[in-house]
Amino acid sequence: MENTEKKKLSTIKLILIIAGAFVFVFLAYYSIMMSMGPAKKLKEIEAGYGVKHDSEEKTDERFFTDSAYVSMLKEKSFLQSKIAMAGTDSIYMTLNIPDSTAHLEIAGVSVHSVRISQMKISKILRTGNNYAVQTMLASPMTIASYKATIKKEPLMIKMAPKDTSEFKPDVIPDTSDYEPVNYILDMDNGLRIYVYQEVADSSGSDRNNLFLFDLNDRLKTTWQSLKSAATFKVPEYHPFIKIRVPKADAKILYRAIPRKGQIAVYI
Amino acid sequence: MNALISLAALLFIFIFMIYMVPALQETKGVRKTMLTSDPELKKDPDYKKQTAQLSRDIQRLSKKYASFTSGQSYIVINTTDNRFFLYKNKKLIREGFCSSGSYTMLKTEGERKWIFKTPKGKYWIQGKITSPVWRRPDWAFVEEGLPIPPENDPSRYEYGVLGDYAMSIGDGYLIHGTLYKRFLGMPVTHGCVRLNDEDLEAIYNTLSIGSKVYIF
Repeated sequence: MENTEKKKLSTIKLILIIAGAFVFVFLAYYSIMMSMGPAKKLKEIEAGYGVKHDSEEKTDERFFTDSAYVSMLKEKSFLQSKIAMAGTDSIYMTLNIPDSTAHLEIAGVSVHSVRISQMKISKILRTGNNYAVQTMLASPMTIASYKATIKKEPLMIKMAPKDTSEFKPDVIPDTSDYEPVNYILDMDNGLRIYVYQEVADSSGSDRNNLFLFDLNDRLKTTWQSLKSAATFKVPEYHPFIKIRVPKADAKILYRAIPRKGQIAVYI
Repeated sequence: MNALISLAALLFIFIFMIYMVPALQETKGVRKTMLTSDPELKKDPDYKKQTAQLSRDIQRLSKKYASFTSGQSYIVINTTDNRFFLYKNKKLIREGFCSSGSYTMLKTEGERKWIFKTPKGKYWIQGKITSPVWRRPDWAFVEEGLPIPPENDPSRYEYGVLGDYAMSIGDGYLIHGTLYKRFLGMPVTHGCVRLNDEDLEAIYNTLSIGSKVYIF
């Protein structure tokens, strides 16, 4: 009797050890696969936006490591993007990272400026190949999809009264500002722009809302990465720019930019 | 005890995958291109030529970009905050509250529906009217549960409800005055932009036909 129980216990232990080892190996494998993501993305950026060796106008490659030259190229590229976007009839956004500002523009006219109070930028955007990364960011990118805690258009449906007896004159609308304003813009080049409202020190609910929004995003991203890792593919890495702006400004930016709006970043 | 250990292990795995692995991606070094400022390179004639060309390009593009902002008068309307900003010679000369579209969709039991929102983008003043008369569209009757009168029925015309001035920006949208001044700063209109009397007069006198109207 005792022997059977001992056997049972040792079997359970064995199963636990095997399961533990499997989990450990999987976590190690997952970490390795995930850590390969940024390098893979950087290669893609370099291939798409780096120095083109086959171009007719050959430029000495040393120029692309010269800070003054790269800085001028960056400025030119950003101006070209702004002019291209100004030619559209759409509202677009520009992010100026060195100035910590975001601008809404229409046809080349800055209609709203926002001061960015905090920002966090992917390492590959800060330390990657400067020329390729800066060219990519300065090129107009289009919003592919977005997730947000507020509606793009807060449409209310009102049924028409059947006759005058059912008619109720409009009352003052509820403009209380209770909704949290956090959103993520997924750009067509793989970049993710996170716009979070500033959190008041005293506001626990703002903090909780942001935590839940962030957790939801992390869960979705992790699920996608797990699916890739399970099929032995390097999970897609999304370089990011996370900014915090005042709540009112975050709402203005979100509501103003069209669903497939364009953004250019000066870094 | 075992359950507690299992729970702690699961929690660790969860935190590891959700927070630690993404953090790891940001700590691992990526190949960095070092930017330099080599004085020898700066003496290279080809470098000088290229930078001079870049400098000229930047100047030309900057000029072109600056030319988008008109030196003439223009108005910017923020429909989220319901505020307006009036500019003249590229300087802000007046700002204040307005009312814009309510984002209401009015539906009838039939198939008809209207969405009351202010259009966004670049517009211009297409017409200026003094003592405007409001010709009530169908929705104004539907909204009150009234029967829709014929096209030019006298009941369609209302006097004095749009203030002393109105400016048309196309597609039937107007910038005009209002009787409902307590609603200024709120999204309550059927798509037009409402202003108080003083702001309306100042804007009417500042903007001319062709002046730009930027709405976001």
